[in-house]
Amino acid sequence: MTAVVLDKVTKVFNRGRADEVTALAEVDLTVGDGEFVSLIGPSGCGKSTLLRLIADLIEPTTGTVRVAGKEAGRARRDQDYGIAFQQAGLFEWRTVRRNVELPLELRGMGKGERKARAEEMLALVGLAEFAGHYPAQLSGGMQQRVAIARALAVQPPLLLMDEPFGALDEMTRERLQGELLGICAQTGTSTVFVTHSISEAVFLSNRVVVMSARPGRITAAIPVDLPARDEAARQSERYFEHVTAVRQALRGVPATT
Amino acid sequence: MRRVLPPVIVGIAAIVAWQLTVTLGRIAPFILPAPSEIWEQLVEQRQNVWEAALASGANALIGLIAGSIVAVLAAMVASRFRPVAEISIPFAAVVSALPIIALAPILNNMFETTSSIPRRLVAAIIVFFPVFLNTLRGLREVNPIHQELMHTYAAGGWTFATKVRLPGALPYVFTGLRQASSLAVIAAVVAEYFGGLQNGLGSRITSAAAFTAYPRAWAYVVGACLLGLVFYLTTLLLERLAMPWRSRLI
Repeated sequence: MTAVVLDKVTKVFNRGRADEVTALAEVDLTVGDGEFVSLIGPSGCGKSTLLRLIADLIEPTTGTVRVAGKEAGRARRDQDYGIAFQQAGLFEWRTVRRNVELPLELRGMGKGERKARAEEMLALVGLAEFAGHYPAQLSGGMQQRVAIARALAVQPPLLLMDEPFGALDEMTRERLQGELLGICAQTGTSTVFVTHSISEAVFLSNRVVVMSARPGRITAAIPVDLPARDEAARQSERYFEHVTAVRQALRGVPATT
Repeated sequence: MRRVLPPVIVGIAAIVAWQLTVTLGRIAPFILPAPSEIWEQLVEQRQNVWEAALASGANALIGLIAGSIVAVLAAMVASRFRPVAEISIPFAAVVSALPIIALAPILNNMFETTSSIPRRLVAAIIVFFPVFLNTLRGLREVNPIHQELMHTYAAGGWTFATKVRLPGALPYVFTGLRQASSLAVIAAVVAEYFGGLQNGLGSRITSAAAFTAYPRAWAYVVGACLLGLVFYLTTLLLERLAMPWRSRLI
């Protein structure tokens, strides 16, 4: 089974009006089970739109989106994915732990069980001792880590991430990249990851999907084959070859204005 | 301590300056009595001030609670049905601009002279508007990310209302309540100027002034100030208790 299938998906905003924008044009994309796919491209290339289509936060103008073998809306209602945005979007009136518990609570998980799960997730992102704090007491980077813990808490088969590490410092970012890979490998989670960073995309992904703007479309898909994904891999010849390949793919698209 | 000290020093300095101005400047007591005289009256009349404050305070409190409950419920209805909000917001804004205190004499005529209801009604009506408008604004302002997250959690309307909309609106509710708590006291005291039952601070102030007992009138004014302060601080305390996640009050 495949985690995500997009078939000839087009998204037009403000259709029929003067400010009509074709955000995505005829996009085909398949994400296999357990695959890690990054979407990379210049601002306005529709990568976030693509992610939101998969999440059923918006509907395609034409084409179909299927998630976990189901229609996207069904998959959303079944909570088949976890999602983390650029902004943490924590609920400021809930403590850190209760924020992570929220999706579990809505799934009807028992109190003790979800508390244990939330604490486990917080330990994973290195915030175990902040469980009782309120979001306002945390730094932006820490809030983002809570949001990631929240996305992981339901242990979803599919993880959707929209530049989740964008606001983090380099150290935390690399550590969380490692953690994320570990979690995905361990649980067999499929991931669609939107990013601006070429190195991040290469390090994390099985496949880097390069997009271009106006209209948003996929211009290249570069399979990344690294023997291991550890600190040594970040320095390896192979890694830099892939970084170069992605960079060229990004440049190879002449900017159309 | 560092936060409390400066205003206390300024307050003491102001009272000293007042005392000196009145005694050295030989200002007639009907223009401005000295703080020492007011204090004397306050001590002498403390039982009366206390009882009058209790009477006015009860009116203000009942008006505040009734007005707030109705306002919050009305805001919930208005936020649920968009057309209602569209109509009620300009309407509420216009009505709140009217001097509602002017209703007091009319309300006094509608009830018996021994009734406390007119003053409570005035307080409740005045309280309604700030609480209603602020609560409605809070209920309508939802962080778009929260909205999307709850959408991805497949949360229904009721879950969304109780887990996101209501707690998100609390800061706004309390902004309204803070304004309302002071207004309730003002309304309850001033409404007494227009007749009706003569047991509160407002009626004592007018009668003391009518007997040219100005320091005594001022003593009741001090009582009214203290009453307003108690209401305001209690609201602040409630706000603190209701929203432990807010590190700052203002």
